[in-house]
Amino acid sequence: MKYFTYILRNARRNPVRTGLTIASTSICLFLMMILLSFFAMSAEVASASRIFNRIVTMNANGFAGMLPVARVRQIAAMDGVVAATPFQWYGGKYHDEVMPFAQFGVDADVVFDIIDEFTVPPDQLADFKANRKGAVIGRKLAKDRNLKVGDSLPLKGDIYPVDLDLVVSGIYDGPNNRDLRMCLFHFEYLDEALKQTAMAGSGGSLTTEAARRSGNAGSIFVKCRSAEMMTDLCRRIDDEYRSTEFPTRTQTEEAFGQMFEEMMGDLKNTVYWIGAAVVVSLLFVAGNAMAMSMRERTSEVAVLKAIGFNKGLVLFLVLTEAVLVAGLGGAIGALGCKFLCDFVDVARFSGGFLPFFYVPWNTALLGLGVSLFVGFASGLVPAVLAANSSVIDGLRKVV
Amino acid sequence: MIPFKYNIRNLRARWKTTLMTVAGTALLVCSSCVLFGLVDGLEHSLTVSGDPLDLIILRKGASNEVTGGFESKKADELLELNGIQRDEDGPVAAKELLNIAMAERLDGTHNNLIIRGVQPASRKLRPDFQIVAGRDLEPGKGECVVSRNLSRFYKGARVGGILDLGEKEKYRVVGVFTAGGSAAESEVWADLKDVERNTGRDGSVSCVQIRAAGLADMDQLQKTIEDSAQFKLSAIPEATYFENQSKSSLFLKGAGTLIAVLLTFGAMFAAANTMFSAVKSRTREIGTMRALGFSQRDVLISFLGESLLLSLLGGALGLLATLPLSFLTIETSNFNTFSSVTINFRFGPMVMAVALIMTVVMGLFGGMLPALRAVRLEVVSALREL
Repeated sequence: MKYFTYILRNARRNPVRTGLTIASTSICLFLMMILLSFFAMSAEVASASRIFNRIVTMNANGFAGMLPVARVRQIAAMDGVVAATPFQWYGGKYHDEVMPFAQFGVDADVVFDIIDEFTVPPDQLADFKANRKGAVIGRKLAKDRNLKVGDSLPLKGDIYPVDLDLVVSGIYDGPNNRDLRMCLFHFEYLDEALKQTAMAGSGGSLTTEAARRSGNAGSIFVKCRSAEMMTDLCRRIDDEYRSTEFPTRTQTEEAFGQMFEEMMGDLKNTVYWIGAAVVVSLLFVAGNAMAMSMRERTSEVAVLKAIGFNKGLVLFLVLTEAVLVAGLGGAIGALGCKFLCDFVDVARFSGGFLPFFYVPWNTALLGLGVSLFVGFASGLVPAVLAANSSVIDGLRKVV
Repeated sequence: MIPFKYNIRNLRARWKTTLMTVAGTALLVCSSCVLFGLVDGLEHSLTVSGDPLDLIILRKGASNEVTGGFESKKADELLELNGIQRDEDGPVAAKELLNIAMAERLDGTHNNLIIRGVQPASRKLRPDFQIVAGRDLEPGKGECVVSRNLSRFYKGARVGGILDLGEKEKYRVVGVFTAGGSAAESEVWADLKDVERNTGRDGSVSCVQIRAAGLADMDQLQKTIEDSAQFKLSAIPEATYFENQSKSSLFLKGAGTLIAVLLTFGAMFAAANTMFSAVKSRTREIGTMRALGFSQRDVLISFLGESLLLSLLGGALGLLATLPLSFLTIETSNFNTFSSVTINFRFGPMVMAVALIMTVVMGLFGGMLPALRAVRLEVVSALREL
C-alpha cells in the first residue's frame, strides 16, 4: 500500500494521456452497458416475474391464433387457480401514431388481483370496474402523454375494424422494472364492438374474419395459488384443449418473457460480437497508452531497479497503474450509465419501442470487471518488458 | 511545406504504436460499419419492394398487411376493376392471405413466421421473383416455397422438408425462392386456398395487390377503391406502404447512430493519445524544423496530415474487414408484427459514408490538439529539450 502514492503520481504525470485513456474506456464501457442491458434486462425482468406465480396461455400456433374467451372461465374454475383474465392485444392508433403504446383488453374485475404488483387507488379502480368505456393506464404513460383521470383516450383500430372511445378512469403504479406504459381496458367493450361490425358489415353472416375475431381472448393470464402448482397447471390446461380445434400453449410468465427474447435470434449474437470487438479494441487503446508511458520511463525503471526494487515489485507497480486507470474509466462508464438510466427515463425517447430501460446491477458489475480485465491485460506486456529490462541499458538510454 | 514522406516514415519508425492504434480504431470503425450495413440492408429491402405502379389494398385503418383483413367477396370484385394491367394470364393482381405462426429454428428456438397464401400473379408483383432450388408450388397440394434466407434458419425449411407450423398447418417444401432482396425474402409462400383451409379463414383476405396499367389508371383505381360505397378500402401505393413500414427501422437507425457516435469518440481519443505522444517524443525535431524555416502552419498541416493518415489506415482496415460480411444474413424479429425478418448485410454507400465520417472526425479532431501543441512550442526551448 505504501507504493500507492507513487502509482497515483505516475498515473497523473501525463494527465492528458491518462485522461484520454480514461475517457476512451468509459465511453466504450458506457456503450457496452447499453448494448448488454437490453438483453440482460429482459432476462432479469422475466425471472423476476417468477414470484408472482403467473402462467400465460396462448394458441399453440402463436399470437395470431384463436383462443376462445369461454376458456377464461373454464381455466379460472380449475383447481389451484386464483383468477384468470383475457389479455387481448388491441394495437390501436393514438392520434394516427401506429403502435404508440401497448393496449390490452382485460377483465376489469380481476386484472389487478392477477397483476397484483400494480396498485390503483381504490376509488379509481371501482370507477374502472363500473365504467364500460373506462381504461386504466400506467403512470409513465400518463406522464408522457399528459393524461389525467377523466381525460378521453380515443384509439383507432388497426388490427381490428373498430375504434374505441376510452376514458381514463384510473392510473396504475408499480415497480420501475414493470411496464408502466400500458393501457388496460374492458375486454367486453372491444368484443361487443366486434360483434356489431360483423353484423352490419356482411349482412349477418358470421363468416368474416371480424366475426371470428370476436370472442377471442388473445392470451390468458392466470394467477396460480402457489409456485409448485404452475408446471402442473400448464400441463393440465394444455391437456384439456389438446384435441380441440384450438390447441393451447401454456407457459410460466418467465418462459413467456423469454420467448420474446428468443425471437430476437441473431440480433443478440450480433450485439454480443460488437461488444466483444469493443473490448478487444480497448485492449489495444489502453495497452498502447501504457506502453507509451513505460517507454518514456525507461531510465526511471532502471533507477528503481538499481536502488533495489526487484522484478516482482516493478511488475506490480506497472500493472496496478494500468488497472487503476482502466478501472477508473470503467467505473465512470459502467456505473455512470447505470445511474443515468436510473435517474433519467431514457425509455421515453425510444418512441414506444421500450416500455422501460435500466442497467441491471450484474451487467454494471460485469462492465466494471471487463474494464479491470482490460487494465490488467493491457498492462501485462509493458509491465513484463519493464520488469525484465536491463538496468545498464536503461540507465544509458537517453529518451 | 514539410514533405509528406516525413510523416509516413514517422509512422513506420514507431510501427508498434502505429499498429496498435490502427488495430484499435479499425475494430471500432468495423463495428459501426456492421451496424449500419444491417440497417441499410433492412431499409434497402423495403425500398426495392415497391413497383411505382403497384397498389396494395387493405382495410381502412389498417397499417399493415398482417392486420388488414377484409371480405373475400370484395377482393374478387377488386380483381375485375378496369385499369388493372393485364397480360396473357389475365389481370396482374392477386388476393393474398397472411398468417403468422410459430416455427422452430434449427437451434431449437422459436420465432413467428409469415406464411403468405398467394395466387399465381403474386410472383409478377414482386421484383425479380425466382425459384433458385426445387420447383414452384402447385396449388391445392399443401406445398410451399420458402425464401432462401429463411430456408437456412428453420427446421424442415429445405427442399423436401416439412415445415411444421402446428397441428393443422404443415406444408411440404418444394422450392426455395429469392425476390430481388425485397421484403418477401422473409416469408414462406403457399397456395391461397391451402392457407385459407388450414387457418380456417376462408372468406377473408389480408390484402389485394394490383398493378395499374398506367399512372392515370392508378389514380382512377385509387379513387374508386377508396371512395365508392362498394369498397371503402384503402389503396396505398406500394412504395408508400413500404416507406411507412420502414419507420419501424427508425429506432434501429437511431440506436445505430448513437452507437457509432460513441464509438467515434472512443476512437478519436485513441488517435489523440497516439498523436500526443508522437508530438512529445519529437519536440526537438519540431524545434529543428522551425529553426530551418518551416512556418507554424507547415508544422500544423504536417501533424494533422499524419493524424489523418493514421486514422485513414484504421478506417480503411475497418472497412475492408466488413467485406467478407457481404454474405452475412441475420434473422431476428421485427418489432411491428413480432414475426421473423431476415436482414442481409449491405456493403453500400451508407457503410462507406459511416467509415469515411468516422475516419475524418477521429483524424481531424484527434490530431487537432496535439498539432496545436506542436505549433505552440517555443523554438529555443524545444531545441534544448532532451
